[in-house]
Amino acid sequence: MKPIDPRVHQALDGEIAREALPPELALQVARLEAAVAVLGMVVSPGAGADESVEARVMAAIRRPAPSRMWRLARWLAAPHSVTLRIRPAWSLALAAAVALVTLLPAGDETPSIGEQEGIAQFVARFPGANSVHVAGSFNDWRSGTIPLQDPDHDGVWRTAVVLPAGAYEYMFVVDGERWVPDHLADRTVEDDFGRENSVVIVRPATR
Amino acid sequence: MRLWLGLALLTGPLAAQSVKVRLEGRVPAAAMAIVDSLVQQARQEDLPTEPLVQKALEGGAKHVSAERIVAAVQLRLVQMRDAHALLVRAGHGPPFTAAEVMAVSGTLKRGVAAPVVERLVAALPNESRGSALHAEADLVAHGFDPDSSAGLLVEATRRSLRGGRLLDVSAAVLHEQQRGHTRAEALALVRLQLPNVPPAPKPPKASVAGARRPGASTGAAPQP
Repeated sequence: MKPIDPRVHQALDGEIAREALPPELALQVARLEAAVAVLGMVVSPGAGADESVEARVMAAIRRPAPSRMWRLARWLAAPHSVTLRIRPAWSLALAAAVALVTLLPAGDETPSIGEQEGIAQFVARFPGANSVHVAGSFNDWRSGTIPLQDPDHDGVWRTAVVLPAGAYEYMFVVDGERWVPDHLADRTVEDDFGRENSVVIVRPATR
Repeated sequence: MRLWLGLALLTGPLAAQSVKVRLEGRVPAAAMAIVDSLVQQARQEDLPTEPLVQKALEGGAKHVSAERIVAAVQLRLVQMRDAHALLVRAGHGPPFTAAEVMAVSGTLKRGVAAPVVERLVAALPNESRGSALHAEADLVAHGFDPDSSAGLLVEATRRSLRGGRLLDVSAAVLHEQQRGHTRAEALALVRLQLPNVPPAPKPPKASVAGARRPGASTGAAPQP
């Protein structure tokens, strides 16, 4: 849109004579005056328009105020724009914290133990061993599934296993090949292969 | 009726198949067929099959020859037949749970005489038999008189001790012996304490927190 020349304003306001205007500006002034005349006819200050506006305003004033619930419902239903201002550094830190909590396992994770389950503790001294596992009737005699740990390298290996209450035969497997009975076990039984298995009795932990 | 017949026809071969799957690759091929037939025999006689499978798996894991594995599984089957017969003699009618048969079998294997086991089985309620048999075997293994030990355990049951608490009785007797009492004195002292024998200490929280579950499936185990 082209800006209106200030002289047109001045002519319309009667501050300068129209004859003082150049012909093209005088034409603009004439057109504007014609447009104002047309508008004046359409929106003439007749009785109907003013009454209509007044009636509408007064009707709105007289209408009883909506209840709180109605206003709340309207507020909830109406769309609102929400502006959230976040520093990128904080949002990254928050995301990292959430990832840590959800992805990393807890250090002292306690297994849930059923009513008819208990803990079997296995402790053995094997100085110089590279690995010690326990195998028995609780894990189908698989020699590599339950390792014992020796975190301080003092030769004492240990682990604890959750098992259904009952009696189990077992042996230690040292360095993946040497089958050794538990010399600390209270009970032993012949394994029918010329050696002895150790026996552990697991009692319900919730006794 | 048709449904049950159908289920029986279906589960038999499935169970046999699952045994073969468990033994495959873990037991020498030469032993597989015989072990499988022994397992089928046990199933037909309503005996537990899991101890036979476990014995075969144990032999395979220990790299024992096929002949020795078969011999050990056969022996285990005989032991379970003996245990089953003892349970019948003691006045209990079949069917027996796997835990019952295995508890009796294990106690006989640990050197407790059949008449003593029979006496305990006949005298004790079902939920206490397994633990009582383990306790009796513990005491007999430490040189205690089998009849006196069995008498103490029956008395403990009469004084309302049940289940794993019977293992506390044998533990208390062994504790008294370690304190310098003779075996007879230890038995008498604990009999006087009944039913207030000290309970076994619970495992420390640290070991419970670090406990893990074994990866492989576990077989049925006699309840303590």
